[in-house]
Amino acid sequence: MQLASRRYDVSDVVAAQEFYHSRGWTDGLPVVPPTAEAVEACLDWAMLAPDHLVGIEPVRARALTAEKLAINAVMAGCLPMHFPVVVAAFTAMLREPFLLHGATASTGGCAVLLVVNGPITAEIGMDPTFNALASSDRASTAIGRALRLCLINLLDVRPGDIDRSSLGHPGKISYCLAEDEAGSEWLPLAGERGMPAGASCVTVMAAGAPRQLMNEWTTVPQEILDTYAAEMRANMRHYSIWPGNYVIVVPPQLRAHFNAAGWSKADVRAYLFEKARIKRAEWAECGKGALVRDRGSREYAALTAPEDLLVVAAGGPAGGFGAVIPPWLGDKSRAVTVAIGACVDCEVP
Amino acid sequence: MAGERLGIPSAGVMTETFVSAAELMARVLGADGYPFAVIEHPISSADGPALAARAERAAAECARLLTTGADR
Repeated sequence: MQLASRRYDVSDVVAAQEFYHSRGWTDGLPVVPPTAEAVEACLDWAMLAPDHLVGIEPVRARALTAEKLAINAVMAGCLPMHFPVVVAAFTAMLREPFLLHGATASTGGCAVLLVVNGPITAEIGMDPTFNALASSDRASTAIGRALRLCLINLLDVRPGDIDRSSLGHPGKISYCLAEDEAGSEWLPLAGERGMPAGASCVTVMAAGAPRQLMNEWTTVPQEILDTYAAEMRANMRHYSIWPGNYVIVVPPQLRAHFNAAGWSKADVRAYLFEKARIKRAEWAECGKGALVRDRGSREYAALTAPEDLLVVAAGGPAGGFGAVIPPWLGDKSRAVTVAIGACVDCEVP
Repeated sequence: MAGERLGIPSAGVMTETFVSAAELMARVLGADGYPFAVIEHPISSADGPALAARAERAAAECARLLTTGADR
């Protein structure tokens, strides 16, 4: 296998860390040195040639090859078996509706959220239960970090360069989870978004930080969802009024109540589509009265359609917790779902 | 810069906080040194008169960029 990237000699692993940090090639954490052997192992696993074109970043017409993604995946701590998820996620991010440049350059400070579905989640050891939204397991953390390192090193999305985030949020280090399909009676997210049953898929979304909620004092689906709706409305009041993709994460204790009542994900989406709405006049209560003008009675929905809501089953077994993950900026960037797999139309290297 | 590539004489406007971002984007797009008008930051909290003053300055600077000097 012929790799095209320049090679550097360093004396040891400590020197390698300083080499990467001094050039701004990492996110502040140590990296795994991307040796040729480790990079080739990733490419072999995904059956991709080094020069396989994953996509072209449209604003700068910059070609992104599998080799460059593999280098950053190794640096992030990925094993070869994780690499197909990284390739699929970046493929999804390069789709036009994702608006990659806008989402990664914006002052709004979103991060790329990945939700992984299908048999690959168990195969690579993703744990969708305890601590589902951060640092749950090796695969989830490394895959999420790989995307950030790709953005930094391939597209200059460094703080203060292309990345103009005022605050950002901790999901920028890694923001990746698997859906708990084995523990859920619901249709998986990828299935809801039109992907075939049994396919491994990844969904990417330009996402704000998770907003955690709690309601363990009811078993009534409508009351549980009223708490989710209140959190979505809070985001509309305090952050952005514009509708877009929202994610809600529903852990097992709350899912049990929906299952007992026979509520599907479609039922959840339909309910929240109606409930997550505010009047523009509410902005006056939040210090944003200057924007109300004569449109105070106008109603705004968090979702342009029920399908805008991405319902994800994940979380540890105990506690009436949940989370709302809001969009970066309305529908400027759309969630994108693609299948994970080896390239089917390129030569095996 | 996209307009220039299409043969349309163009002038950009940036707030002063985004000057470094604009310079970086010009560089990575192969147009290092591409000139643009600069106005005060921020825009969103500026009142009508302040916004109008910035617009007047930006319009004058854009007219200058479009009619003199700049060769890219």
